[in-house]
Amino acid sequence: MVHARGARRSPSSAISRTIGFLLGSGGPHIAITLTRQPSVSARDAQHALRTALSRGGDWAELYWERHETLQLVLDDGRIEDAISGVDQGAGIRVTKGERTTYANSNVADVDDLIALAGRAARGVAEGGELHETSDPAPDELARPSTVAIDPRDVAVERKVGLLRRANEVARALDPRVQQVTATYAESVQDVLVANSDGLHRADTRVRLNVAVHVVAKQADVLESGFEALRGTAGFEMLTDEAVEQAARDAARRAILNVGAQPAPAGTYTVVLSSEAGGTLIHESVGHGLEADLNLKGLSVYSGRIGQKVASELITVIDDGTDPNKRGTAAMDDEGTPTQRTVLIEKGILRTYLSDRKHAEKLGIKRSGNARRESFRYLPICRMTNTMIARGTSDPEKILRSVKDGVFVKKMGGGQVDVVSGNFAFEITECYRIRDGKLAEPLRGATLVGQGPKLMSEIDMVGTDLGYSTGTCGKDGQGAPVADAQPTLRIPAVVVGGKLK
Amino acid sequence: MSERLTNEAIVDTALQALRDMAMPLGEVFLREAQSGSVEIKDGAIESVIARGERGVGIRVIDEQRLGFAYTSDLSADGIRGCADTARRMSAVTERDIDLVLATRPLDDADLDIYQAGIVDRALGERGAVALAVEEAARATDARVTQFRKTTYSDSESTTMIATTGGVRGSFRESYCGAMTSAVATENGDRQIGYHGEAGRRFAELEPRRIGERAARRAAEKLGAKPLATQKLPVVLDPWMAMDLLRAIGPLFSADNVLKGRSLFANKVGQRVANERITVIDDARGEGVATTTRVLIEGGTLRGYLTSLKTARKLGLDATGNARRGGYGSPARVGTSNLFIDAGVDDTEAAVRGLDRALAVTSLLNLHTIDPVSGEFSLGATGNYLERGERIHPVQGITIAGNLTDLLNAVVGVGSDLVFGPGGLGSPTIVISELSIGGA
Repeated sequence: MVHARGARRSPSSAISRTIGFLLGSGGPHIAITLTRQPSVSARDAQHALRTALSRGGDWAELYWERHETLQLVLDDGRIEDAISGVDQGAGIRVTKGERTTYANSNVADVDDLIALAGRAARGVAEGGELHETSDPAPDELARPSTVAIDPRDVAVERKVGLLRRANEVARALDPRVQQVTATYAESVQDVLVANSDGLHRADTRVRLNVAVHVVAKQADVLESGFEALRGTAGFEMLTDEAVEQAARDAARRAILNVGAQPAPAGTYTVVLSSEAGGTLIHESVGHGLEADLNLKGLSVYSGRIGQKVASELITVIDDGTDPNKRGTAAMDDEGTPTQRTVLIEKGILRTYLSDRKHAEKLGIKRSGNARRESFRYLPICRMTNTMIARGTSDPEKILRSVKDGVFVKKMGGGQVDVVSGNFAFEITECYRIRDGKLAEPLRGATLVGQGPKLMSEIDMVGTDLGYSTGTCGKDGQGAPVADAQPTLRIPAVVVGGKLK
Repeated sequence: MSERLTNEAIVDTALQALRDMAMPLGEVFLREAQSGSVEIKDGAIESVIARGERGVGIRVIDEQRLGFAYTSDLSADGIRGCADTARRMSAVTERDIDLVLATRPLDDADLDIYQAGIVDRALGERGAVALAVEEAARATDARVTQFRKTTYSDSESTTMIATTGGVRGSFRESYCGAMTSAVATENGDRQIGYHGEAGRRFAELEPRRIGERAARRAAEKLGAKPLATQKLPVVLDPWMAMDLLRAIGPLFSADNVLKGRSLFANKVGQRVANERITVIDDARGEGVATTTRVLIEGGTLRGYLTSLKTARKLGLDATGNARRGGYGSPARVGTSNLFIDAGVDDTEAAVRGLDRALAVTSLLNLHTIDPVSGEFSLGATGNYLERGERIHPVQGITIAGNLTDLLNAVVGVGSDLVFGPGGLGSPTIVISELSIGGA
């Protein structure tokens, strides 16, 4: 679902706006130009919104986007792909009563934009009154992520060099490494949101992703290992050391897995390391707290605000302002500033992840969680950076407390059926626990369970915190996210593996 | 308004830009599409989306180095800039002597995949499909009272490909589809059932069948219980089998074979599946026998899916399996219509002959199957069967195995071949044994 990546930069990029950044704590105060192409002026936006409402409608919104991408792929020891591109377009949303009309297309200029607004207007039933829009109030939002080095200013040779280094490091680790694929993806997304309430806000999201996929072979067994560095950040996040470590981790995982025993099947005590990342919280709880589902009363968490839905050891937070994390942005895709939202506090459900519409209907505060993959989609309620907050147990003691169990060192992808709460997630690095110590590695495991049940059963929460990143898919739209958790102990959960 | 170039003019402008920079091998890919969707809620239309898109992807081979760029800026300057970026990208990649562009003229075969005006139907008519889906679901089972999401969608697109070598072709295609996630409720238990289908023509859609199947999927899970950890024979209906077949597709990719990422590497002519299994990729849609490609025939691996480059590397004819997601995506080896051919087994009778079995009704985490190792371990729901009789529904379990073992463990292939959306098809499949993880 992720949009194709590549990026063209027009040699005549117009500098439209300069954004000031404070670099880290105590760092130099530097100015960096992120928005380089003209976007949509407040006047043109109002023109489009008036056109959109010209045949009736209660409310209108313009979402404009320019997305530049660059993707480099090293495969089989060679740079195989270098892809650069730009996609620019807009979507006009008009609501009337309970109905939403959304017209979107690639747009090159203001004429295209007004034509699009006209199409949206024609989609709305005639007979409504012309809505007088208030004056636009462009404003600047706080930027949670710092970008010291705009990746577009970095020579492509430097980016290629990182991939070659990853390839060398991974191959040097072990002769069983059979194949290495290293990918560099750069994404610069300029977004503008304006609506008939007078909102007019812009955001520029610079996202980087270096991923290393390693295949190891031992006898007839092939196994993969994967690691990625992803963030909403400047090129400074991609240090040689970080890329080399990712390559080593990917190769180490592939090698560990070719030599590992197939995971057993059955119910076990499981310790999830903080290093494992947060797929668990994303799947088991996060999706169930999205407001759209709760308005329909379809989530296992529907109608339960103020009630106990998890062990008192559990506090769950979604934080779109967490600096430089993959799910971070200054605002969501309706122009609501992102924020830190406590969803579950010591086991008590406090609120849901909302967009404008669902916040209003449910009578809760807007949480800045309306996100869309691109201008081709309506925004939907979804997570940004979601975590279980740190607890009070020493992670070492959590491991030592388990006589016989399974230790999950790294999680992969997951999925949840939000209506029943049943979830599954993949484990990509895993060990047997014997007498409180790590024993033999296991491969091919999955954990399955039911969200609220699992959250009430977790009985130890560590003082540490580890992050992972991914691309979340919902209703056919992909969104960059991060998840985090401390080390956790689950007394009994189903581990899916193979029986001898 | 700014001048809007026709599709032909865009392609010509791009080809001229490539010639102007003396690019010996260049290719222009243009896609223009209109699409839309209608979502309903509480018996009325809730949202209507109309999409328009148009863009080009330009591929160049300069000194046997590949460059690719794309843009939605289709002004003459935008197109020339895109061609120039593609050239600059080619300086980044490495030489590959097998890189090549199409040289054979394209025939004008009627692929029968286009219905004009599918996106221009009245809103009422399109919304009515979605409403009929929900009505059918409610009528199927009284316990179905809600829906997570029900949509009708359609699209019409034009694709043009032209090379500096003079190959030029285009095709149009249309799609329409409807899907629903029905929710059934009983005694505080709530379960969801998904079903969606797609066709090339409006009349091909059967809203009633979509609603009925989703409703049955939801209702049959009500009252689901855990199951003990054990090995059991497993029944996959055509839709569940298609889900696993999708994961098997990458094993046939010549690119994966060449790079040591496929368990089918060096296995042509060898047995890789039970003799009941024949797998076919049919690039020209169902029913055009002359272009079907048999990948596994009676359990024996017959070949791979190739692009122009990978075919040259393997010394084979290109099978025409270079696929693109859109103008911004490069060509990758992929399947077109991949299906397990109909068998001759009476699978119902076969299941009645089993003391105990699990019929799978939904799978979670299919996207995490690793085609490299072939290992899968998935969340599942199902029906626990004894001698073919449903004893109780099951949830909270896993099924695990290896894709290659799974192909060898097939003990029954039904005659009920069904094609689903996403270019996949399968009959009912019976597997001798899989590991079930549970209580």
